[in-house]
Amino acid sequence: MATEFVTATIKTSEIPAGGIVAVNVRGTQIAVANAGGSYYAFDDLCTHEQCSLSEMGELAGTTVTCTCHGSEFDVQTGKVLAPPATVPVKVYPTRVEGDALQIEV
Amino acid sequence: MAKAYVIVGGSLAGATAAVTLREEGADGSVMLIGAEGEPPYERPPLSKAYLRGEVPFDKSLVRPAAFYGEHGVETMLGVRAARIDPSAKFVELDDRRRVPFDVLLIATGCRNRRISIPGSELEGIYSLRTVEDADRIKAEIGVGRRVVVVGMGFIGSEVAASLRQKGLDVVAIEPAKTPLFRVLGEAVGQRLADLHRAHGVRTIFEDTVAAFEGAQRVSSVLTKSGLRLECDFVVAGIGVEPVVDILDGTGVRVDNGVVVDQYCQTSVPGIYAAGDVANHYHPVFERQIRVEHWHNAVKQGAAAARNMLGRAVPYDEIHWFWSDQYDANLQYAGFHTKWDQLAVRGRLDSGSFLAFYINDGRIDAVVGLNRAKDVRRAIPLINARRMLNLEQLQDESVDLRSLHAA
Repeated sequence: MATEFVTATIKTSEIPAGGIVAVNVRGTQIAVANAGGSYYAFDDLCTHEQCSLSEMGELAGTTVTCTCHGSEFDVQTGKVLAPPATVPVKVYPTRVEGDALQIEV
Repeated sequence: MAKAYVIVGGSLAGATAAVTLREEGADGSVMLIGAEGEPPYERPPLSKAYLRGEVPFDKSLVRPAAFYGEHGVETMLGVRAARIDPSAKFVELDDRRRVPFDVLLIATGCRNRRISIPGSELEGIYSLRTVEDADRIKAEIGVGRRVVVVGMGFIGSEVAASLRQKGLDVVAIEPAKTPLFRVLGEAVGQRLADLHRAHGVRTIFEDTVAAFEGAQRVSSVLTKSGLRLECDFVVAGIGVEPVVDILDGTGVRVDNGVVVDQYCQTSVPGIYAAGDVANHYHPVFERQIRVEHWHNAVKQGAAAARNMLGRAVPYDEIHWFWSDQYDANLQYAGFHTKWDQLAVRGRLDSGSFLAFYINDGRIDAVVGLNRAKDVRRAIPLINARRMLNLEQLQDESVDLRSLHAA
């Protein structure tokens, strides 16, 4: 299915540096992380036991740690950096226009 | 020069070490010997999601079964290592085959302590360590069936919670005053007792099992105080002991597990240990520590592998673990045996709190109930070994991260 950039209901200015905020984009709950002014979008649910990464995740650089059970993911690629998760988290391309955040879904 | 790396123990620590050896460029062969027939798997789900039938066994595998062969890790599963000859440098298996090694890792883990009281040979009395154990307990699950859980340590508490969630009638009996009393103390332990009672577990503290009764199969449990608890089956979680038999006669020092230094090396050069079995020197706490948890198995397994490759990296991870019970997430970080102050952030009776175990003004450990982020943010405070302002620790408006560099 073709994807397209969709403007999120949240503005970049509403995502604090080092913070993660959940947005609903066309029925999918997506987490957006602000890593030093770059915005990364990924599925909000941890692939281990489905904790919300916007709620339970801690961001350090471009690594998000799911504090429920310690799984770590690279928010740029979704790659698992530390177990117990074994399955990557799905990532979505983003782009910023002004303070509008667009997410490709 | 190519070496033969041999790992005894198809455990999480052993498998992680094998994978790490390959990832970090071991030159030579890597052999993993495991007594269980399955490829290495993680045990946390066995008392929780797997026991409740929510996830298949495959999800618990450390790596898919095919991974090892594809990545140059040889496996010998379903065979037990029987003895080690440290001078001739081979491991002898119980079928008499010999596996030569240059560098050896002991990752044999623990075995469950067995209850030995009248009636303990009856059918319907289980303990939980392996997937087969979990399957036997799973087969007993049915709404309204009556189970007595003996011991409210981590395994007993988690099994009680899972079986309650499956609609069983659960009675839990524990000799101490609360669940996890020895680790967490009375104040926190009481909250866990409350949690179980709120979910309908009948808890009996300061009492122990005197006998199991029944014809061929257990039908009741008799306690020291004289209670008779009718039941359909029993799950006992009364603790574990390190598996060190294989080290008899090797000269490897054994004292509460296999004694290793901060490089995971035993008293015999070239022989290492990691995971539940390893009583390791911890440079942060400046003492020997043996830990029976998932996180240590992963981190120490990897650290041992690096040291087996000659990297000389001290293992100084702050220990951390979680225990999910019902919808509550309990986490602990650090290491403590005693404390002179318990500083609490939040209210103990609120269902969400963080408690700091403080000894001589330093935080040795924290425990959090539904406070996962705070537990993680407290780890650098434990690592720092500094005196901290108690008021700030307890003040909800102070972000613990702001104290990291202070």
